[in-house]
Amino acid sequence: MVFATRDEADSALYEKRIDLSQATCPNREQRANGINIFYGKASDLIEKARSGCLQNHERGFAQSSGCSLNFYLSVRVGTIRDAATIFHAPVGCSSSALGYRELFRGVPVELGRPAEYDLHWMTTNLREKDVVYGAGDKLKKAIYEAQERYNPKAIFILTSCTTGIIGEDIEGAVADVQPHIDARLVPIHCEGVRSRIVQTGYDAFWHAVLKYLVKKPEKKQTDLVNVASMLSYTWQDRLEIQRLLGKIGLRANLIPEFATVEQFQQLSEAAVTAPLCPTYTDYLSRGLEQEYGVPYFLYPSPMGITNTDEWLRQIGKYTGKSDEVEALIEEEHRIWMPKMQAIRSEFDRIAAEKGSKVSVLGSLGQGRLLAQMPFFDELGLVSPAAMSQDYDNLILEELEEVVSRVGDFDLLVNTFQAAEQSHITTKLDPDLTLTCPFQGGAYKRIKGATRIHALRGDPHPWSAQSGYTGAVAYGNFLLQALKSRSFQKTLKEKTKDSYRDWWFKQSNPLYYMKRVV
Amino acid sequence: MTKIRSVAIYGKGGIGKSTTTSNLSAALADMGKRVIQIGCDPKSDSTNNLRGGRSIPTVLDAIRSGKPVELDDIVYEGFGGVLCIEAGGPEPGVGCAGRGIIAAIELLRQKKVFEEYKPDVVLYDVLGDVVCGGFSVPIREGVAEQVYTVTSADFMAIYAANNLFKGIQKYASSGGALFSGIIANSVTLPVQREIIDDFASRTGTTIAEYVPRSDTITRSELLGQTAIEYDPDSTQAEVYRSLARTLLKNEERYVPKPLEAAELKVWAESWSDRLLTKKNDARSGSGSREIASTST
Repeated sequence: MVFATRDEADSALYEKRIDLSQATCPNREQRANGINIFYGKASDLIEKARSGCLQNHERGFAQSSGCSLNFYLSVRVGTIRDAATIFHAPVGCSSSALGYRELFRGVPVELGRPAEYDLHWMTTNLREKDVVYGAGDKLKKAIYEAQERYNPKAIFILTSCTTGIIGEDIEGAVADVQPHIDARLVPIHCEGVRSRIVQTGYDAFWHAVLKYLVKKPEKKQTDLVNVASMLSYTWQDRLEIQRLLGKIGLRANLIPEFATVEQFQQLSEAAVTAPLCPTYTDYLSRGLEQEYGVPYFLYPSPMGITNTDEWLRQIGKYTGKSDEVEALIEEEHRIWMPKMQAIRSEFDRIAAEKGSKVSVLGSLGQGRLLAQMPFFDELGLVSPAAMSQDYDNLILEELEEVVSRVGDFDLLVNTFQAAEQSHITTKLDPDLTLTCPFQGGAYKRIKGATRIHALRGDPHPWSAQSGYTGAVAYGNFLLQALKSRSFQKTLKEKTKDSYRDWWFKQSNPLYYMKRVV
Repeated sequence: MTKIRSVAIYGKGGIGKSTTTSNLSAALADMGKRVIQIGCDPKSDSTNNLRGGRSIPTVLDAIRSGKPVELDDIVYEGFGGVLCIEAGGPEPGVGCAGRGIIAAIELLRQKKVFEEYKPDVVLYDVLGDVVCGGFSVPIREGVAEQVYTVTSADFMAIYAANNLFKGIQKYASSGGALFSGIIANSVTLPVQREIIDDFASRTGTTIAEYVPRSDTITRSELLGQTAIEYDPDSTQAEVYRSLARTLLKNEERYVPKPLEAAELKVWAESWSDRLLTKKNDARSGSGSREIASTST
């Protein structure tokens, strides 16, 4: 197909218009042709996506998985302090929320985690009877109970596969009850069966926030910057963002984790919506601009020096603080560039010793993929392949740009398939390999291996990744992981292999892919 | 205890499944058999004509009440001692009727209904096409050992029958129920019989009985009765008795060969062509013999 303009081509690739008259968002497959299985050259993926030939396939065997409800939403929504969450689901669907509560408690109060940290967590505990007869009344009862117990400002209602399959009338129940209670009801349609792409859960959440929580702006807050997606980065990133914006007289509206309901209501009053993870924020950003005229930008994320500079410049542009931003960049560079340079020199020294650049196999979400590849470049590292949990056309242009900047690379798109990752790690044999939580790190190497970020809520300074302190901390972290191999050595000696030799002899890491014609 | 003959009767909504099933129950009871009729339809009116047109409380009503369920709560006696059970279901637009059927059948098993009443025949009167897993339970798990379908010569009824064949074929290799015959309903014109015969031969199935349209049924149902009760000496009553005898001695059980969607469409179009030819011929005075002798 030939398009007259770039805009025309883009709008054919993904749906930009957000329709808040609908109960929820379209899924990522419909909205942007999302996929979660691919292995090959990034350029090949781009070409397929551009020509409209990119297709998702089935896995004949999958090791583990996460759904939009349990993995992506329950974790975030549960941290919102003055709200309550009702899982309209069998009890098991909500269990992961409880686990995360414990993880978040690891963040010291001194670093800004609220001291009062109770989880306002309820479930309608759907059973067979509820499936047969529907459980609208049970949901209403739970809403009244939540209002009475917690007196929250908002009640989030999360749906599940069960309610999706039997077609529960959630909106009907909400419309019935809303006039009788104080809390704002926010139904989020995030049933797992809706989409293979777990990021659909993000969109469903933002759709509900835009539709039910965000208020019409009473006044514009010219110093307020919306920054979403904190804990797919780390707690230190949060502090770094606040530090940088604070220095030029701006305030970060950090959502959704640990935000207040008021922070959501004020999203419409901000000067700009800035991304940490563009793939997470895009639906919200577009919606805020469309409904309330809040400008946004999606790229870059503040990871690495260059990207952070650019991120700040964008914010400066929208807040009228361009001069302050330039001064800040200069000041920060004076402090951090020598440290970055030291790390880079060390990598260069190692490279010279071994006769080639140090290679890092990255394990990333698709937002991080775009931010991290240039960061590796800054450190003088090369990446023989990248991994992304999923891919959709929302990042197509930016992926093209990354390829043009750092050259072509192999790309594995998979959601939590450790065997596939282990396969390409063995094949490509990088000097250092990074793993994500749940993406699988249970394999042994003699060379370096480390996690890309610890489970959400890791407050340790060396886990920082964003901004200038993050660039240095992360660079140092990679350097240490490369040098210190004692853990890998012990692991190699003391444990059995996770997979049999047979697996590594297969030519294709997507051995279990079933082609859908 | 002799082996229970359990039979499921499927067919498009409104085609006459409940009429056929309750008349069958009545005829079998008349012949001295102990019969249980189980209506697997959320609108729960399968057994009305055995009970003077009145509805009975359903299995799912009993489960919903939350009280321990006793057999008396769900089994009601109708004409000729036929034991009537209605699975029931949720309100329209709420919950999952298919899961309801599964829950109801599981409860009947738990309550050992068949051991308790020791019936000779159990008839399952199942809603419409095979719409979801719940409604296919009598086929899938071989709860019924024989399956019949009620169809008229209308395309949609045949479409539903063909769908049922697909359901049977799907589960046949894993212990599912097998097919035993088509009950051709509302067959008055020769061409209607021909259409159903042709469909049967295409799908490798047999006809268990031809049931003509009849005023006796209309009148009996206005009184909430079966033809067997209302007018035992009528021709219609005899048709159902004949079907009942067939059902008792029929040992045929096989896997039908459903038509693919495209094949079914071509087949239906060939019949509509022939029916049009017939109509035009009738107008031009060449009579209708041609259509009766046309066969593919």
